[in-house]
Amino acid sequence: MNEFEKQLIEIAKGMDYPSTPDVAGFVSERLRPAKSPRFISKTWAWSLTIVLILLSSLMLIPPARAAILEFIQIGIVRIFPQPIEPTAEPTQTIAPITGTPISSLPFLETIAGKTTLEDAQEQVTYPILLPTYPADIGEPDYVFVQNADGNMTILVWLDPQNSESVLMSLHFVPDGSWAIEKVRPTTLEETTVNGVRAIWAVGPYPLRFTNGDLDFTRIVHGNVLIWADGTITYRLETNMSLEEAIQIAESLQNP
Amino acid sequence: MLAHQQAVFRFAYLLLGDPDDAEDIAQETFLRAWKYLKRFDPSRPLRPWLLSIASNLASNKRRSAGRYLSAITRAFRTEPPPTTIEEKNVEQNQANTLWQAVKTLDFTDQQIIYLRYFLEIPVNETAQALNIAEGTVKSRLNRALEKLRKTIKQDFPLLSEGRKA
Repeated sequence: MNEFEKQLIEIAKGMDYPSTPDVAGFVSERLRPAKSPRFISKTWAWSLTIVLILLSSLMLIPPARAAILEFIQIGIVRIFPQPIEPTAEPTQTIAPITGTPISSLPFLETIAGKTTLEDAQEQVTYPILLPTYPADIGEPDYVFVQNADGNMTILVWLDPQNSESVLMSLHFVPDGSWAIEKVRPTTLEETTVNGVRAIWAVGPYPLRFTNGDLDFTRIVHGNVLIWADGTITYRLETNMSLEEAIQIAESLQNP
Repeated sequence: MLAHQQAVFRFAYLLLGDPDDAEDIAQETFLRAWKYLKRFDPSRPLRPWLLSIASNLASNKRRSAGRYLSAITRAFRTEPPPTTIEEKNVEQNQANTLWQAVKTLDFTDQQIIYLRYFLEIPVNETAQALNIAEGTVKSRLNRALEKLRKTIKQDFPLLSEGRKA
């Protein structure tokens, strides 16, 4: 350990932490089967409220009721193809990655887990494949690895014609990671990637991510090609055509 | 549970900066550990596994809030650390300033610095908590420390001077 590290430890010893709450007591109480929880945390309360409001509002709308019962599953992505009345708006929205009319760069800087391609490959257990189509696509301009129950990788390429906007983004979502639910896309088309069933969804549409704790929504203005291969679900967001998206998907290779 | 609740709570607090959020994460960490106890290898130490769960939960929480707040957070990061009316001793002020400096780093850099230098978790346990090899811990630490050194020199010079004194 060098001098700088020793100094860091010395300084960090002076950290003024809040007193540790009785976590053990709370958890013991929660795990006691006969009793109901005496306390629901703010996070749980909000999540529960949002889910209940969303579900109850959806169930009031007849087409939505049908939509809840029928969905398409590709990998871990669940798609509800039925159109729903606009009254059932998403609970929260954030800016899109693809097709945003404003400069994409500030938004990209807000995404958690920014890293390098090399470091990303160190962090995940699956190969991060790169497209060889279009021929001049090169390596992604942004790489993110986000920790869920599994590590999700997001690659982002900027538009070479306009470096302020995104050309496409490619998500690698491993099994055990977030369940992703695409609710009511306007257009769905079934297709194949390397002979495997895939879905082409044309936006805009809300996109909900859930992992048991979080439940947030965003609008993607681009089109999305979703397919799965083994334990990885791929999502390619782009404003390109379906044919081009498939070419990109089928060109993925281990670099 | 009692033996590890402080480390889990403090790690969450360092990552999130809010005691209520840290308490939520600490509670959820132990609930999840209980739920997935069958996945745990009892021949390995428990603490890194708990810290790993806490880290993932904190990361998720940051992500949900971060998308909305990170711009604001970054704006604050460029400001000097807030001063408080109440007098704090020099050690606390220095530690808090160091924390502000670490907060400016990437999340992965923050994780490894908090584990190694704030919580003084050994390299092998840090590796297990972050699901990486011990060699990767060392290389990541080197990179993170280099960034921290530059940040302190550039944005927190008083901390740098304090250390020399």
